[in-house]
Amino acid sequence: MAVTRAAEIDMARVDELIAEEERALEPKQPKSIAFHEVAKKHVAGGVASSWQDAPPHTVYVTEGKGSKIWDLDGNEYVDYHNGYGVMVVGHAHPKIVKAVQERVPKGTHFAQPGPEIVPVAENLVERFKVPLWRFGNSGTEATLDAVRLMRAASGRDLLIKIEGTYHGHHDSLMVSVMPEAEDIGPREHPNSVPQTLGLPQAFADLVRVVPFNDLDALDRTLTENEGRVAGMFIEPAMMNAGIIPPEPGYLEGVREITKRHGVYLAFDEVKTGCSVAWGGAVERWGVQPDIVCLAKVIGGGLPCGAIGATEELMARVISGDMDLQGTFNGNPLTMAASLATLTEILTPDAYDHLEHLNTILADGINSAIDRYALPAYVLTFGAKGSVIYSPTPVRDYRDHLKVDERLSYLAWLVQQNRGVFKSPWAKTETWTIGVQHTDADAQLYVDNFTELASMLAAAS
Amino acid sequence: MSVTERDTAEIDLGRVEELIASETKALDVKHAETLRYREVAKRRLPGGVSSSWQTWPPHPIYVDRGKGSHVWDIDGNEYVDYHNGYGVMVMGHAHPKIVEAVQRRVELGTHFAQPTKDALEVADELEERYHLPYWRFGNSGTEATLDAVRIMRATTGRPLIVKVEGTYHGHHDALMFSLFPTREDAGPHEHPLARPESLGLIPDSEKSLLVVPFNDADALEVAFREHEGQIAGMIVEPVMTNCGVVLPDDGYLQRLKDLCHANGAMFAFDEVKTGFTVARGGAVEAFGVVPDLVALAKSLGAGIPCGAIGGTEEAMALVISGELDQVGTFNGNPLTMAAAKVNLQEVLTPEAYVRIDELDGILRRCEDVIAKHRLPASMKTLGAKGSIDWRATPIHEYRDLWEIDDRIPQLAWLWQLNRGVFKSPGSKWESWTTSIVMSDADAERYVENFESLAEAITR
Repeated sequence: MAVTRAAEIDMARVDELIAEEERALEPKQPKSIAFHEVAKKHVAGGVASSWQDAPPHTVYVTEGKGSKIWDLDGNEYVDYHNGYGVMVVGHAHPKIVKAVQERVPKGTHFAQPGPEIVPVAENLVERFKVPLWRFGNSGTEATLDAVRLMRAASGRDLLIKIEGTYHGHHDSLMVSVMPEAEDIGPREHPNSVPQTLGLPQAFADLVRVVPFNDLDALDRTLTENEGRVAGMFIEPAMMNAGIIPPEPGYLEGVREITKRHGVYLAFDEVKTGCSVAWGGAVERWGVQPDIVCLAKVIGGGLPCGAIGATEELMARVISGDMDLQGTFNGNPLTMAASLATLTEILTPDAYDHLEHLNTILADGINSAIDRYALPAYVLTFGAKGSVIYSPTPVRDYRDHLKVDERLSYLAWLVQQNRGVFKSPWAKTETWTIGVQHTDADAQLYVDNFTELASMLAAAS
Repeated sequence: MSVTERDTAEIDLGRVEELIASETKALDVKHAETLRYREVAKRRLPGGVSSSWQTWPPHPIYVDRGKGSHVWDIDGNEYVDYHNGYGVMVMGHAHPKIVEAVQRRVELGTHFAQPTKDALEVADELEERYHLPYWRFGNSGTEATLDAVRIMRATTGRPLIVKVEGTYHGHHDALMFSLFPTREDAGPHEHPLARPESLGLIPDSEKSLLVVPFNDADALEVAFREHEGQIAGMIVEPVMTNCGVVLPDDGYLQRLKDLCHANGAMFAFDEVKTGFTVARGGAVEAFGVVPDLVALAKSLGAGIPCGAIGGTEEAMALVISGELDQVGTFNGNPLTMAAAKVNLQEVLTPEAYVRIDELDGILRRCEDVIAKHRLPASMKTLGAKGSIDWRATPIHEYRDLWEIDDRIPQLAWLWQLNRGVFKSPGSKWESWTTSIVMSDADAERYVENFESLAEAITR
């Protein structure tokens, strides 16, 4: 990520380019634009989740196959969105199709345990090195359970989280997810900012917020709250600020410091699990937490969630002193898709293919950045990657706040107009590739990026 | 003792205990593979299950498959399913139309985190049933009630939520209180305490919650008086379904709504269990009261994880304007929507509920058994939901449940299980759920088993 002689970008010109790309996109998606108005009649805002509605307008998707998706207007895209990082298996993978089609005639839901749960759990044990698992239906449910386990096992109240990370939408961690610059307070003592209306401040006050990649801040915060902290939540690499990787030694330091203060450590691997490596961040960075939260990738495109924890943390669940429950937990359809995902598709070789694709992407993008002297750098980890439009490395959320979002928005439009579907809200999001992506799919992204780079160079 | 109390037979609890022991033994013999598998599963999953409520004494039962109204466990035992996955499968297992919808959709991709057209068709169906214009989707009842609480707090700017004693609204922190409080710790009747129902809840979150008894609108009126301007809203299961089936008194739900509105608060139905079961349009249809918010899950997705929250224009205003995000990666995913669409448009039709009523007619014969054997029991049903409570007078609110000895419903559960009927575990609390594909014989089997049980315990 060496950045040399970065050019200054003329942001007025960027605004013009955004306007041009928006004008080019609109005529391609008239049906989506029209359907949004229809859908608003009975679907609040016309979308099933608020984050499905992003500028310049909502795009309705009809189907997907392999690395491709099609929108309501029939436009075809190579999918780098992959449903906010879920579809590392690719769309309608034949093995998922088979697993689901075989399971559904046998029934999909009994609210009783079935014989599928053990092989899925066995696979997760191997990957993430935590011994005991339970299943749920979303990442939100997984981190909700994790908070409860930590508070129950420690008998303590406070939680530590990193400024600028999202851990699902339940009350405990909906704090300082993307706080505004004017609300965040001093760096050495960030404010605990409720991220939503309807969240009592008293709940937010139970969370202590620390900057990513800052061991001193963590140690100090734990010392200030000695004996009161149940546990710490961390995304091992921040995944909602582009990608911010842990600096060498950071995760090891987090592990050492939390252990020293007697505080549980949870990895939120909802986004990194089975994407940054076969064994997620646990494998990639070689640090072992007490809890791993999963969702997204492991269901192969079905709603899913999982929580893995040590025997100590699960002791009260085993004894029945506390319950972790949910009607749909471990339902046979999700388990069937999950088993195919984990044991037949996302095998160790699959990650060689993802790394190969990411090498094409990283090399191509780097060469365009160098050629046009762009103030940007690219990061890739397994299925994940991101271009950060900053001349200097972004180390934490506060650095991320300083990045101008217009460049990533322009990049999203340029790709969207040229057959690549990236995740909306592009400044905060990463790309996700899948096992069915081809070299040509990677090259398309590189070519589009190179075109963007030349546009930006002309604007500098 | 009310004057209307029937003359009932005395149940010999010593005899009940003997029967529990013999029925448990009989069950163990049938479950050799289940018992073996449980030991394997325990190594990787706490208790050997994916959800704590999948295990119940004497042991969890591992289910292999289901078809129509029947399920088979991994030992090959066949049962008529009255459990129906805690009230989800009112359409029956592997319904051909659901199978076709899922098999077709999976080939077209199941998840994009972008909106799809089917979400609108599902929302249209929900609007027609629940008379609420705006809908959002999620993945579980827990997520739906979590959204309901947040919307009520966000819209009113007030902190307090009112819930009913003895109801479960999902496992998030806001409402995980006073599900099953004991006589010792429940507090006074007119002012029930908010008892945390789990270790590890957000500390002091009971301060954001008020608990009132079911079927007691006066208690809500008092709450408004005592906490003027502080109550965001009330969430209620219009029919209590976690202590048998407890019906609302005439006018109760309307009065709750009126009280909420008169005090600037919102009113939400948790129809996770009642939606699509007590009637096609859930409790909204059954009782003719339209709340500000309805939370759905369970039967909506026909066996695929699902959830939904619907609201009035006013209730959903902040979500529509974008000031309040209602979010989730899997929300409205195409597979769930494809299943829900066919389920609502083609499976759970008005005719399907005619069949539900026919089955109810057969099951009602249990009342004759109760009368004939002078059982200290009462029966309540509404649509696909029903329960027999081991108390001569029907349960009217949660505290009535304290009078029921756990042993009799446990025996009733074992008795049915050993005779080919799978009821929900925890049968003192759980209701049964029939399905539209049940045969007369399926319903008759329940009645016959109930009759043989009645004979055995009154002998």
